[in-house]
Amino acid sequence: MRQMIEAVDLTKDYGSVTAVNRVSFSVAEGELFGLLGPNGSGKTTMIRMLTGQVRPTAGSARVMGLDVADDPIAVRRLVGIIPEQETPPSFLTAEEYLHFVARIRNLDAVEERCDHWFDLLEFGEKRNVLCKDLSRGTRQKLMFAQAFLHRPRLALIDEPLINLDPIVQRTVKDFLEDYVQDGGTVFLSTHILEIAAEICDRIGVIHNGRLLSCGRTEDLAGSGRSLERFFLDLVRGDAGA
Amino acid sequence: MPVPDLFFTMMKEEWRMHSTVFGSRGFALFPVVVATFAFLGSLTLPVFSDVLPHQTAALLALVLFLLMGVMVGSFGLMGREFMNRRFGQASLIAYASRSLPVSERRIFAAFFAKDTVYYILLYVLPFAAGFTAATPFVSLDPALGLLAFVSLTLAFLMGLSAVCLLSTLYARSVRLLIGAAAVLAVSGIAVSHSGIPVFPPYAFLLDPAPRPLVLALLLILVPAAASVLLVTVDYPDRTKRFRNSLDPIAGRLRRLGSAHFIAKDALDLLRSEGGAGKVIFSFLLPLGLIWVCLRILIRFIPGIDPLVVFAVLLGVISATIYNWLTEFDSFSAYAFLPVEVAGVIDAKLKSYALANLLPLAVLVLAAATSAGGAGSFLPALATFLSVSAYTLAVTVYLTGLYPNVMLYHAGVFLRYVLATSPALLLLIFASLLNPAYGFLSLLLVLPAALLIARGRTRWRAWEMPGY
Ligand SMILES: Nc1ncnc2c1ncn2[C@@H]1O[C@H](COP(=O)(O)OP(=O)(O)OP(=O)(O)O)[C@@H](O)[C@H]1O
Ligand SMILES: [Mg+2]
Repeated sequence: MRQMIEAVDLTKDYGSVTAVNRVSFSVAEGELFGLLGPNGSGKTTMIRMLTGQVRPTAGSARVMGLDVADDPIAVRRLVGIIPEQETPPSFLTAEEYLHFVARIRNLDAVEERCDHWFDLLEFGEKRNVLCKDLSRGTRQKLMFAQAFLHRPRLALIDEPLINLDPIVQRTVKDFLEDYVQDGGTVFLSTHILEIAAEICDRIGVIHNGRLLSCGRTEDLAGSGRSLERFFLDLVRGDAGA
Repeated sequence: MPVPDLFFTMMKEEWRMHSTVFGSRGFALFPVVVATFAFLGSLTLPVFSDVLPHQTAALLALVLFLLMGVMVGSFGLMGREFMNRRFGQASLIAYASRSLPVSERRIFAAFFAKDTVYYILLYVLPFAAGFTAATPFVSLDPALGLLAFVSLTLAFLMGLSAVCLLSTLYARSVRLLIGAAAVLAVSGIAVSHSGIPVFPPYAFLLDPAPRPLVLALLLILVPAAASVLLVTVDYPDRTKRFRNSLDPIAGRLRRLGSAHFIAKDALDLLRSEGGAGKVIFSFLLPLGLIWVCLRILIRFIPGIDPLVVFAVLLGVISATIYNWLTEFDSFSAYAFLPVEVAGVIDAKLKSYALANLLPLAVLVLAAATSAGGAGSFLPALATFLSVSAYTLAVTVYLTGLYPNVMLYHAGVFLRYVLATSPALLLLIFASLLNPAYGFLSLLLVLPAALLIARGRTRWRAWEMPGY
C-alpha cells in the first residue's frame, strides 16, 4: 500500500525545548490516523513540520512522495491543511475567502465547490458575512471548507472538531469517514480521546515530544481496557519515568 | 474598573507586547535614538542660523510635532476597532470589554490616554532631552529645554485632540464634520484678527506666560473631552452583509498578477472601520498642512520653489501607505497555503504602487496651485516617485511584513533614519538651489530595487526559518 506520510526520526528543538523528539511513523493511503497527546506534547509542531511550515531540526519526512524539506510549497499545493490557531481574514466574507483560496490554488468551478461546502456544513446563510463577524464554530467550518476545496488526497488537520457543536461534529466525522472510504487520507491531531477512539483507524500517542505508542485503535483499546485507561496509564507512566 | 487602573494595565500590556517582540532593550532604546538625533540636530543650529533663525527653527519643530499629533490623532474614527487594530486580537484588555463590566467609553478614554503618554515618552520627551543636552554647546540656556518640552507637548496634543475630534465627528456624520470645520475656520480667522495667538504653543515658547498656556490647554482639553463623549464604540446591531467584491476587483486587476491579493488589500482598507476617513485624516490632512506650511515658509525665503521639497516629503509620507497595507494580515494567514513569502511581499508592492496614485494626485494638485510650471513639476514628479520607491524599499528590507511593529525597535528605527535621511536632506537642499536637481533622486531607484530584492530573501528566511 502506498505510504502518504513517512516520518523518520523527525525532531524539532525550540532552543532548549525539544518539541518533537526522534519520531518515526508512517500513514498509509486511505487511513484515518490520529495523533493523540496532552497539551504541549508536540502535535501542532508535528503537523507544522509535515506541511513545511517549520523545518525539522533533524530527521526527515516524505509527504505524498515529496521530501518536505526540499519543496514545502509543492507539499502544500497537494495537501489540505487546517492550522490550529489561524482564523480566516477579518474583512473578507466567508464566500470571498473561499474564492480567495480557490484563486491561490488555481481552481476551476469555484462556485460549485463553494456551494458544496456551504450546503454540507450548513452555513450558506453566512456566506456574505465578514469573517470577523462569524462565530468561532462557523469560522472553523470555513477553515474546513478551505482545506478540502481542492479535493486533496491527504488532509492534515489540527484539532479539527474544537468549537463545533455536536450536530456539526457528527457531520464532520461522517464526512471524514466518507472521505477515507473514497481513498482519502487524514492525519489529525487531538487531545480528545472519544474522537480518536470513534473515528481513527490508527492512533499514535505522543507525550513530551516522544511517540509512546502507535497502533490500530482496536488493538490499543481492545485488551479489556478503555482507550482512556490506556492513554492515562501510558502518559502517567512516561511522566513518572 | 476606573480609568486610571485601566490605563496602567494597558501601559503594562503595551510594554510587554513591544518588549516580547523585540526584547525589552530594542524597544527601550528607541527614545535614545530619537534623543540622539535631536541632540545632533540642535548642535547644527548655529551653522544654519543665517538661513534659519532660531525662532523659525523652533516654529518648524513645533509644526512637526503638531503634524505628528494630526497623523496619529485619527483614532476617534476607528472607534472600537482602534482598540485592537495595532496588534490584532493581541490586546486582551480591550477585548475584556466583552467579558468585564467595563464601559467601552472608559476603555476608549484609557486607550486615548495610553497612546498619548506613549507618544510623549517615545518622541516628545527624548526630543526635548536631546535638545537640552545640546544647549550648553550652542550657548543657549538649558532651562529652554523644559520650555521646549512643554510647548512641544502642547503642539503635539493640539494636533492630536483636534483631529481626534474631527474624526469622531466624521464617524458620526460627514455633515457634522463639515459644520464643525466651518465653525473652526471662521473662529480661527476671527481670532487671528483679534491679536489672540492662533498657535498658542509657539506663543508660549516665545513668552512663557499663563495666557498662552491656558489657551493651549483649552484647545487641547475641550476637543479631547468632546471626542471621548461623542465617540461611537457600539457594535452595529445587525452584522453587515457584503456581496462578493473580491472577484470583480480581482477581475479588473487580472493583468497585474496576484490580483486576488491586491483585491484583498483593498477590501481590508475599505471595510475596516474608518475606511476612507483614515485616508483623509492620517494622510490627506497632514499633506495639506505641509503644503500650506511650505507656502508660508517661502515667504521668509523668497525665490525658491517648494514643489520639489514637497515631493520629497510626499514620497516619505506615502511610504506609510505600506503600513496600512500590512496592518490586517501576517504571513501566518497564508503559511498553510501554497504561497511564498516573496509572493505576499510582491503583492503588497503592487497594492502599494496602485495606492500611490493617490499621493500622485495630491502632487498634481499641489503643482496646479504653484507657479513653477513644468520646470518644477517634472523634477517633482521624478522626486516623488523615486523617494516613495526608495523609502518603501528601506521599509520592506528592514521590517518585512511588519512595519507597524518593527519600526519601534530602536535598532531598526535607527537604520531606517540613517538609510533615508541623508539622501532626502541632500535632495531637499539641492532642490532649494535649483528644482532641476530633483532629477538626482532617480539615482535612488537602483538601491531601491536592490533593497527589495534583498528584503524578499531576508524575510523569507525569517518567516520560514531553515527554508
Ligand atoms: N514557536 C515556538 N517556540 C518555542 N517553543 C515552542 C514553539 N511552538 C511550540 N513550542 C513548544 O513546543 C512544545 C510542543 O508544542 P505544540 O504546540 O506542538 O503542542 P501541542 O501538542 O500542539 O499542544 P496543544 O494540545 O496545547 O495544542 C511545547 O512545549 C511548546 O511550548
Ligand atoms: Mg496544538
